[in-house]
Amino acid sequence: MTEEQQLKLQAFLDGELPESDGREVAAWIARDADATALLGELKNTRNALKGFEPEVKLPESREFHWSKIKREIERTARESAVAPKASLFTWFRRALIPLGAAVALGLVAIIAIHPVPGSHHPIPMTANVMVGDANAFTYRDDTQDMTVVWLSYPTENKFAEKSSADTLPAK
Amino acid sequence: MAESAYSSAEDIALVRLAQKGDTDAFEELVARHRDKIFARAFSMMRNEEEAVDLSQEAWVKGWQRLAQFQGDSSFATWITRIVINLCLDELRKQKRRRTESIEELDEESGGVERQMPVVTTNPTERLERGELRQRIDQALAQMSNEHRAVLVLHEFEEMEYKEIAKAMDCSIGTVMSRLFYARRKLASLLADLKQQ
Repeated sequence: MTEEQQLKLQAFLDGELPESDGREVAAWIARDADATALLGELKNTRNALKGFEPEVKLPESREFHWSKIKREIERTARESAVAPKASLFTWFRRALIPLGAAVALGLVAIIAIHPVPGSHHPIPMTANVMVGDANAFTYRDDTQDMTVVWLSYPTENKFAEKSSADTLPAK
Repeated sequence: MAESAYSSAEDIALVRLAQKGDTDAFEELVARHRDKIFARAFSMMRNEEEAVDLSQEAWVKGWQRLAQFQGDSSFATWITRIVINLCLDELRKQKRRRTESIEELDEESGGVERQMPVVTTNPTERLERGELRQRIDQALAQMSNEHRAVLVLHEFEEMEYKEIAKAMDCSIGTVMSRLFYARRKLASLLADLKQQ
């Protein structure tokens, strides 16, 4: 018996087969002793488990269990009340990074599509776009056919540096 | 509300009160269902300490997500699904931490169980309820986490293949395969326990 047939037999037992497949499997079971035997074993195992989940009781009193849950609920509530929520201004500032990138890429695209007539820049071109605190610096080299865009966000960089510094062990 | 009123109220009434911030109503829900939640966590983990921690975590999560409970299922089913998800997460974490052993690979592929002869006699026949329960308990304790989890979800929680696949984050084919090998392994373990 193949693995596929075995799994089909089990799906038949669990009522997970479409009706047409179910009829097919029922006919197969009727004429195949091995299939009948395997179905019998699967059925016995399934029936043995029904209603026989191990009976265990929580090894703590009602009061003690609830006191732990209540303490945890109160602790998480306090933490969420203290945690600073991201303001609309913060979201706007975060949006400046992709906005700056889009502007910088747009500039590169304009230069590429509409080059100054008769000019093929032997010298690399640069463009610097600042949107709020975010900075997008574009470098274009026609001779190498290469464009590079740097994005930076000073405020977040400062924050990252500060966070790293805070985690350094005290001397 | 008086204490006696809480104890006589239906689950859904207590849930509505708890949704408004009534912790006494929530305490009554915890008291009613704590053993079931712990038993389900224990069935999945087979470790009392972990089961206590996970059931406590489930109640805390239940409180935090109470606003999401719409009453589509019973409260008991809803909170049970929370503890099951926490247990599955914990089992996944433990699996990542463990070094994959040869035994685990074998169990995943079902190599051993596929070759096992069919157990033709019913290994649980003529057993007292208590004895049967004890044997099932012993057999479940000897199974791998993956096999036991799929059995618990299918046989005790009565979840369909697709529901199990979603909960375990795997394909329906994997669920079918794991369930098949878990059942075969259990049949063999129960037969061995009968012979002892």
